[in-house]
Amino acid sequence: MTTDKSAPAGGSIMVVGGGISGLTTALEAAEVGYEVFLVEKEPSLGGRVSQLKQYFPKLCPPTCGLEINYRRIKDNPRIKVITMAEVEKVDGAPGDYTVKVKISPRYVNENCTACGECAKVCESEISNEFNFGMDRRKAAYLPHNMAFPSRYVMAPSMSADDREKCKEACKFDAIDFDMQEKTLDFKVGAIVWATGWKPYDAARIDNLGFGRYQNVITNMMLERLASTNGPTQGKILRPSDDKAPETIGFVQCAGSRDENHLPYCSYICCMASLKHATYLRAQYPDAKIYIYYIDLRTPGRKYENFYKKLKEDENIFFVKGKVAEVGEESATGNVTLIAEDTISGEKIHQTVDMLVLATGMQPNTSVDKPNADLQFNADGFIVNDFKKGGMFGAGCANKPADVVTSNQNATGMALKAIQTLVRR
Amino acid sequence: MSEKYLAQPDLAFIDEVVGFGAEDLKKCYQCATCSVACPIAPDNSPFPRKEMIAASWGLKDKLISNGDIWLCHQCGDCSDLCPRDAKPGDVLAAVRYAAINEYAQPKFLANAVKDPKKLPFLLGIPAIWFAILAYITMTGGDAMTKLFHNFGLEWSHGGHDVIAHANFISTWFVDLTFVPLAAFVVIVFGLGLKRFVADIHANAVAEGKTDKKTLDLKGFFQAIIKVLPTVLKHDKFNECTTNQDRATPHMMVLYSFIGLFVVTNIFFVVLYVFHLPGPYSQLNPVKWLANISGAALVIGSVLMIKNRMDKKDQVSSYKDWYILGLVLALGVTGLLTEMSRLAGSEYISYFIYYLHLIAIFNLFAFLPFSKMAHLVYRFTAMSYAEYGNRK
Repeated sequence: MTTDKSAPAGGSIMVVGGGISGLTTALEAAEVGYEVFLVEKEPSLGGRVSQLKQYFPKLCPPTCGLEINYRRIKDNPRIKVITMAEVEKVDGAPGDYTVKVKISPRYVNENCTACGECAKVCESEISNEFNFGMDRRKAAYLPHNMAFPSRYVMAPSMSADDREKCKEACKFDAIDFDMQEKTLDFKVGAIVWATGWKPYDAARIDNLGFGRYQNVITNMMLERLASTNGPTQGKILRPSDDKAPETIGFVQCAGSRDENHLPYCSYICCMASLKHATYLRAQYPDAKIYIYYIDLRTPGRKYENFYKKLKEDENIFFVKGKVAEVGEESATGNVTLIAEDTISGEKIHQTVDMLVLATGMQPNTSVDKPNADLQFNADGFIVNDFKKGGMFGAGCANKPADVVTSNQNATGMALKAIQTLVRR
Repeated sequence: MSEKYLAQPDLAFIDEVVGFGAEDLKKCYQCATCSVACPIAPDNSPFPRKEMIAASWGLKDKLISNGDIWLCHQCGDCSDLCPRDAKPGDVLAAVRYAAINEYAQPKFLANAVKDPKKLPFLLGIPAIWFAILAYITMTGGDAMTKLFHNFGLEWSHGGHDVIAHANFISTWFVDLTFVPLAAFVVIVFGLGLKRFVADIHANAVAEGKTDKKTLDLKGFFQAIIKVLPTVLKHDKFNECTTNQDRATPHMMVLYSFIGLFVVTNIFFVVLYVFHLPGPYSQLNPVKWLANISGAALVIGSVLMIKNRMDKKDQVSSYKDWYILGLVLALGVTGLLTEMSRLAGSEYISYFIYYLHLIAIFNLFAFLPFSKMAHLVYRFTAMSYAEYGNRK
């Protein structure tokens, strides 16, 4: 079904992706007075940031930033949020685009109050991808406790039996399994692609053992383990036996700056691992933390200071040398690793309770290229053509960046989008 | 680590190794993945990470005298995992070739062997030499017979009713060419090894890679005996994963050379001691060994060439193709000489034999200068590592 929901041509902006960059672009543009369609493929806005425990370097929770933004969206009638929606095709030219958007059914309408009665009766379970599959959740679920819109989702895999039960349990008549997938056409003047990133698939880094050894996890998994809304309610426990880890290793540049994987530096992983060391230190005052690196990249005064402070910790060891071989002690589940300490020139064989791979960012556009007239670099990031205008990549769709940089970049792209409209 | 070290970068050396196949050397960012990836690098001061930086800084003195470069069997595991595609395996191969060049004397020969432009001379000199010998043999038989009788020697070793290559180029001439050449090779290697062993010992002591303070010949000799089976069984080679498919062809070539060496010596004794000239019967077990070795040489070298051509991510330079081409040419011309003789094509067989001699000359005379010299240096370095407890 295709409905024409046309806005005045040239008058509105579409933002693809509702993570921190997309939210920023949408809000900055809307607050100047432009109509914005914010299209998000997940059931909730928030993107990767909502999976974090804390931002660096201030170590404040992402809830604060996200909630302010959600508040601004709620207050702003010019922003239309469309979730579970993916752009299928873009036609037209700067100032006059037609965007075909496919919207998947949520099976839950606006009546939902997120009371959770449906989840109580639902027995079907699905893998919880918000926690990178580390636990399972009900097939009737709220994406997470910071979800916006704060509405439940019914997974299509839910059994017929459970569908009946959920429908019965809902006092607000919010569940509707007759919802169909639909395709809508939008007329917009400019499009900002804030399609974000995904963690590089660590299982592809053969020598680091992810997927083979349970206690080898990724940095984003550690974020979830450390988050109070994560699979362990914020207690960092290693996956194999829920043991509190006493020695933790970090492998920097896991699959990054690597011609066999992601050839570029993802910019954030060094700071992320340093931040993770603070998570661990907060929970385990005596834990020994080993950070294996090629070179630690903590650019700028604030990040340098963050690093400097961590160096004062006697139980955080920085080892210059990349981990290149990982094994497992089958009896204990401990992880063994080998690296060359390039300062001493000796090979190190170490055993740790848990090993964290600091994997990098892969732009979603490299996996799932938008069907639009965009330019990409060899790594799949969007290359902005400001001369041509009309469509722009923002945040991590444009380059690997931290939250601050993404927001600055997203603000700039809001301006670029507005310029496209005004010049016509 | 050593206390104070004044780096003396040799920029020409960087260019030289780059030319020998280390073309991506400068991509290295010292992450040390290679040292861990290497299945045979020891825990104490592993390679090839430190060699990578020494090479990119042009620290020739730290590399040429470094025994570790010879412990590497270029299995390719490090190049495979290298995040920068800097190909440490190929860099070490290039450094080894630079070391061969350094220890081989006289220098002009070393320079000629490494330079593709000099190839016509390398082939041309033996071509002219053997052409002269063939001319004398074919036309001056009577004069030579007389001359040799003066010393109480029999000139001709050729039969009259069979095709015998001695009728084309006298066995005397062949042996008077190759026996002194062998002596020359032994002397060149001897002089090179004298410096080499002293250097790698000094380097190992300086870098803390050995617990031996002095070089004791008895111990070193015992180490040689101990290492021999490792080399013959290709134990170290087989520890590789990426290039494991190279181990078998390499072994075939090594064993065929050993086989042919044995055959040549037996026939030498048979000829000069028992005065029984060839060609020998195909039923003779020594001939079997010769034929099997010849076939193994061809198959082994073809596989190695194919391997190099298939591996697009591995650098193959002139030093590699020269020696592989030579080995293949040696095997092919050897077998064809025999086949055409058995087929009764006298002059075809002579011509191929002529090419065969040129190939042997190249391999033999330039042994200490070509990549083939690895046979001597690697064996020595492995023995030293055994002696010096490099673990």
